[in-house]
Amino acid sequence: MREEQLRTETEPREELRSNEAERGAYSSAEHHRVTGRRARKVEGGVFFPKPENAVTVAVSSRVLFRTELEQRVFEQKGVEEYLRYQIEHENEPFAPGPAFPFVKALETVNARLRELYPQSEELFDIVLVTYNHAHVGIRLINTINHHNLFIERFCMTGGSSPIGYLKAWQTNLYLSADADKVREALAEGIAAATMFMTEKLTEVSESQLRVAFDGDAVLFSDESERIFKAHGLDKFFQHEQDNEDTLLDHGPLKGFLEALGKLQKKFYAKGQRLDCPIRTYLVTARSAASSGIRALKTLRAWGLEIDEALFLAGAPKGPMLEKIRPHIYFDDQMFHVEGAAEMGTVAAHVPYGVAQKHNQPQKPGARK
Amino acid sequence: RYREVSFGPTVEDRGVEGTRRGGKSLQKVNERLLEKNPAESLLFDVVLIATDSQQQSSRIISSTSHYGLEVGRFCFSSREDLVETLVVNNVQLFLSTDRDEALQVSQKGVLSALLGRQEAPSESLRVMLCGDAIVRPDCDPVPASRGAAQSFSARLGEMRGRFGVSGSPLSIVLVTSSGGSKSCGVALQTLRSRGLSVDEAYCLAGAPRGPILSLLRPHFLLGDGVIDLED
Repeated sequence: MREEQLRTETEPREELRSNEAERGAYSSAEHHRVTGRRARKVEGGVFFPKPENAVTVAVSSRVLFRTELEQRVFEQKGVEEYLRYQIEHENEPFAPGPAFPFVKALETVNARLRELYPQSEELFDIVLVTYNHAHVGIRLINTINHHNLFIERFCMTGGSSPIGYLKAWQTNLYLSADADKVREALAEGIAAATMFMTEKLTEVSESQLRVAFDGDAVLFSDESERIFKAHGLDKFFQHEQDNEDTLLDHGPLKGFLEALGKLQKKFYAKGQRLDCPIRTYLVTARSAASSGIRALKTLRAWGLEIDEALFLAGAPKGPMLEKIRPHIYFDDQMFHVEGAAEMGTVAAHVPYGVAQKHNQPQKPGARK
Repeated sequence: RYREVSFGPTVEDRGVEGTRRGGKSLQKVNERLLEKNPAESLLFDVVLIATDSQQQSSRIISSTSHYGLEVGRFCFSSREDLVETLVVNNVQLFLSTDRDEALQVSQKGVLSALLGRQEAPSESLRVMLCGDAIVRPDCDPVPASRGAAQSFSARLGEMRGRFGVSGSPLSIVLVTSSGGSKSCGVALQTLRSRGLSVDEAYCLAGAPRGPILSLLRPHFLLGDGVIDLED
């Protein structure tokens, strides 16, 4: 198996090398060093984009794959037994986890981007960032290969905090099962959310990436929520009306929406607006008639386009999300995350803002 | 049956500073090994080699004792005889802060590594291996020391195996720079087949090494001969 793997790795290089030899451009040693550093260009586009050019999405192994069984071994029998178990089952790939459909959708977008812009490094770059021990590495790599995922970069930190590595990779979004790590990332200014495994999962599109965002404390700051929690609904409405023309402050996921917008524009530039493989949604408890206006004005002032804005005026979000079928939905309130999960939507919790003081999960079992 | 680790002469306080950091962690490994087995023979034995004038040499010696470094032996050699001195003393790993010197030595068949330049916060000895040469040996820029690298991995693996997963005074870190995740997997399997289990693994796939390296803070970097600390 090793021989075969080595051959696959070197094959494209051989082709490139012989072409260069014909052109007499480089000596083969120089060529090797150069291609080692440059973004690798294989037929069909760029596969190793530079982190500063790509939209980097870091996922932990526990959200990309299902590892509940192994988690139990770790909790009940300790780390040595856990690692022994992992090595024993090395050739058994993990099943897909809650972030899996989202990651697959990112790859679909990449395939379309490469068709239109084969030289561009403005792509999604998916990095596996886990504080797992490298003993689990082979099983994780086998699983990546089994599911045909394009994950070429990873960090297995063997127990130390992955936060520094997130910054080093210029991470645009971090998804993890560990709320503490997510909070650490948010504190460092990195968009992050906690994901949970649910039993019910509705089918999502395989050709279009759909990302849905709550408004307050996700795209926007929690300013208005503070007013609501402290002084009630009436004061909230009054405040919003008085401040209609004042922009809301930005929230932790604003940057990620911005990154999605940049990629969307690349499709529009090639006349593919109707067929764009990225679609974004705002799903907010604000109402269209009143408090929603400030949200829209803010987005417009930021130069951000959102494809659909759904103002629920306080109605439950679950049914609406079930209609939209996003690959991921970001909300700061566990109540909504759980409500979404009940109806089969993959929801991610953003532990930001004033709602966290009041966050009590209704069903502890729903947590991963 | 000692593992001999020799610290190079790369002069002045920079050399000694690197020595001090790596040396303290290295001592800790020996201590812990002996705690487990007072009759342990697989230990680090440190030899300090000085190739400069007498004055430099005595300064280096007094510096090392000032820093409380337990250097077993001092050797005085000339630059020309450096490799021979290493071979005669059965040195299995030569450490230096000078990349060119390390490269020259490894080209003559003695495994070399660079001393990490940054202050390593951890007490445990962090040894970093560059996996690219492991995966593509035909592209190894220093084929002469490949045998030495393989036997060193095996001994290091033995030593690492004396400790458990957590709380080990020795950590092995694998970094692959240019291949994708498949080739990092190959590196992991290759090292495992030599008896070396890695603690941390980072697959860069072409991303710049500098930011990651400054987080990893290895004491020793065993590499691909072209590693650039300024990266």
